[in-house]
Amino acid sequence: MVLTAFDVLLIAAAVMVMLAGISGKVALPWPSGGNGARGGDWAGLVKYLVGHEPILKRRFAGICHLFIFWGWAVFLIVAVLAQFNFTLPSPVALLLAALLELLGILMLAGTLYFLARRFAARNGNTAPEGTVPAMAIMLVILVTGFLAQGARLSIMEPGFNWVAPAGSLLTCAVPGSPLFMQIMIRIHFFAVLLFIALLPFTAMRHVVFASANVLYRKKNSGELAPVSLDAGTYGAGTVLDLSWKQMLDAEACVSCGRCEENCPAFLSGKSLSPRTVMRGVFKQMATAGTGVGNHNGGLAPVLEDAVTADEIWACTTCMACVRHCPVFAEPMCEIIEMRRHRVMNQGLLPTEARSALRDLKLYGDTQGKGAVHRKDWAFNRDVPVMTGAASGVEVLLWVGCSGAFHPRNQETARAMAKILNAAGVKFAILGSRERCCGDPARRLGDEALFIDLAQENIRWLNQFGVEKIVTLCPHCLHTLKNEYPAMGGQYEVVHATEYVMDLLGQGRISLKYPVAKSIAIQDPCYLGRYNGIYEPLRGLCGAVPGMQLKELARNRESSFCCGGGGGRMWLHEGEGTGINKMRAEEALNTGIDIVGTACPYCLTMMEDGIKSIEADHQPKVADIIDIVADCIRLEVSVNDPSEGEE
Amino acid sequence: MKIIVCVKQIRHTFARSSMDPGENFVGPEDTIHRVNPYDEAALGLAIRARKLFGSAQIVLLTLGPVIAEEDLRRCLAIGADDLYQISVNGEEGELDPWSKAAYLARASRELDGELILCGKESLDGRNGLVGAFMAHRLGLPFVSGISDLVNIEGEGSVKVKRNALRGTREIIECSLPAVFSVDLGSSAPEYPAYRQLRKAGSIPVHGLRFEKDIAPPKTIAVRTIAPRPRPKCVPPPDSGLPAFDRVEQLLMGSRVEKKGAVLRGSPESQVEGIMSFLEEHGFLDSKGKEASERQ
Repeated sequence: MVLTAFDVLLIAAAVMVMLAGISGKVALPWPSGGNGARGGDWAGLVKYLVGHEPILKRRFAGICHLFIFWGWAVFLIVAVLAQFNFTLPSPVALLLAALLELLGILMLAGTLYFLARRFAARNGNTAPEGTVPAMAIMLVILVTGFLAQGARLSIMEPGFNWVAPAGSLLTCAVPGSPLFMQIMIRIHFFAVLLFIALLPFTAMRHVVFASANVLYRKKNSGELAPVSLDAGTYGAGTVLDLSWKQMLDAEACVSCGRCEENCPAFLSGKSLSPRTVMRGVFKQMATAGTGVGNHNGGLAPVLEDAVTADEIWACTTCMACVRHCPVFAEPMCEIIEMRRHRVMNQGLLPTEARSALRDLKLYGDTQGKGAVHRKDWAFNRDVPVMTGAASGVEVLLWVGCSGAFHPRNQETARAMAKILNAAGVKFAILGSRERCCGDPARRLGDEALFIDLAQENIRWLNQFGVEKIVTLCPHCLHTLKNEYPAMGGQYEVVHATEYVMDLLGQGRISLKYPVAKSIAIQDPCYLGRYNGIYEPLRGLCGAVPGMQLKELARNRESSFCCGGGGGRMWLHEGEGTGINKMRAEEALNTGIDIVGTACPYCLTMMEDGIKSIEADHQPKVADIIDIVADCIRLEVSVNDPSEGEE
Repeated sequence: MKIIVCVKQIRHTFARSSMDPGENFVGPEDTIHRVNPYDEAALGLAIRARKLFGSAQIVLLTLGPVIAEEDLRRCLAIGADDLYQISVNGEEGELDPWSKAAYLARASRELDGELILCGKESLDGRNGLVGAFMAHRLGLPFVSGISDLVNIEGEGSVKVKRNALRGTREIIECSLPAVFSVDLGSSAPEYPAYRQLRKAGSIPVHGLRFEKDIAPPKTIAVRTIAPRPRPKCVPPPDSGLPAFDRVEQLLMGSRVEKKGAVLRGSPESQVEGIMSFLEEHGFLDSKGKEASERQ
């Protein structure tokens, strides 16, 4: 089809409407960098669009999306190129024709699937708004395209043509009249224009905003925005307090529901759903008439109208929503912003967590035992305390509040000391100079307290010149490794499982005594999803003689939270079923002897969960470090005090 | 309406002698300066009272030098409006409850407080006397250890709840002005918003300077009897050691170094070693074993 001047005008008009729609949603100039996002990652965007990898995690819908995306891309390119006057050599032209035909069929199939799915799951709230009109227009485009093709073929070359099977079949049904063909082409053309013009006003806005969100995605997903204590107001009380990246998240969200399917709070019957959080933010942005990055919008309603306190406090910050989001939106970070608003502006921390944070402030740990007692677990054991510069110390053992005070986790701390001594590692602990890493305070929204604790820790770590730290708790690991560098604490931080795996690999320890049990790993969120550490846990279990490694149904990136993260350890779980109970049932159904984990919270939560279920064969819960320490071959003499209790 | 909350700043020693005998003393890092938790509960109740009354001014009153400023500011952030600090010319060191009550009562009269709240007792002294003495000095009614403010009864009268023994609770009607001492758990602990903490940082501390009260205290603690050490079962120390080591062993919880040897070599020789050890020490009867083998 050759375009007339009038057609060009129409195209220009459609594109103008689209651009106007988009620019209404974006405050220009587009901010670059800052706010935890990096400048555009164009290579990443191209790779994402070509490969569709995150979208393909949901198999069938992902493939349909891939067809439609590629269909649009190829057809648009061909339509533009067709305006230039050139002829292709016959075989190439035939091949291209066949390709276009094939793509058309695939697109049609994809569109029909999406439409059918939309109508099947039509219960108001869960379906994203504005998908059905867009899909209907797309269907019109495709059907008229095929009809026009059929008409063209029946006029020009009747009979079956192998490069255009669908078009050829249609010649039987379609009249070979030029008028019919022209009408179809016109409808096709107008539908395309309508689709383009309506793009920003339907769910198809994701074409622009999701791409932008992929382009500006955070380098460290799940990273929380820093807080300036001099700001006077903290967190997000209204949508206007969100950063432009967080607003972009809300615009990019297509409400596909993958976050919901993996959210432990939602699955256990709490009122929280990451999807409704994003929808709430999106709707309030529309109410406030604000666009992405526009912080001077009109009066915005308070976010609590859209996201209630119960929803905010139900989040376990397990990061499943962030990891499973195909467009890299981060509902979890928005929830933390809302927590900050409640705690730092209004003092509305849930009552049961107040004393925990009070103790954290007064004594430097959530249990209120006091820093002086931090090395009590190591009494009578060969655990040196760091007193001067860290010269000659290979690694600093960061015990953490749980390892130092919780009786069950103290065993893990002792086990780790035993392993380190057996390997002949020169290590030390900070002893009474250690404070809580600040994770509970930060996840519960008290950023000021987090900064206090972090600065105190960094002061001592820097004073001792610590270079390498091994942590027992994944929460400490994440905080020290990923959150302290921004505050001036640069260290090489590894988790105990990684470190012990290295020791095993170097042959500094060997595992001798067999454990003839089957084990499955409960992947701690802060180890797995946050830091991508999955293999050392499995490697250690595999290295224990006689141990049989199984997998829980949900594992690795899809692992189900124990329910203890994000400060939930100190909150009551009133609504719905217990998250730990759900996970315990899953472990029970797997038919294993041991649930292996590497996180003090997981240990406590899973133990509680399993105890609450009545079953004949209850699996034991153990820290993998405990298991390794029990079957380690000791080459040292009996006089070693670390062996005193053996 | 003016509510006065008396807050005591205490030096709280939370580390009760470390497990390590080498550090068996109270170090400077074992203590923190904080506001008496019972007084914090009183402040919580004052905030509730303010809500009941509609409007009220909450004034914090503390005696002696400011040692726990951070915690006092936290109280201001939670909801108190003003902070008064009493210093007394010529008084040094820890005062007795009678004198404390005298100064606090004088300040309360000067500040014209209608409802005077204080903690039931303090975490360090645990006398629980100051409230009662204050009421006596001011000539006001006194209810001890209240746990809740139920409601306001018309003009100048309130109903309070008090925990009596063994789960019994009393509702007491009391005319205002009055002095109440407050028990823990009377209200959920308040959490200060960081924004309020910042604001509280700039609230000035009003000083009240009194001359020393010459009247001698009516009650004096004349003698303190230290608690008896709780006996702990420890195995007897190794009598072969010199006295110094034996004392150290007792202090260390009688940790006795284990004597023994590690058996090395093949599993068979190790088993043999264990068997011969058991026979040697009479745990196994070698003759009996042979007899059973013959059968």
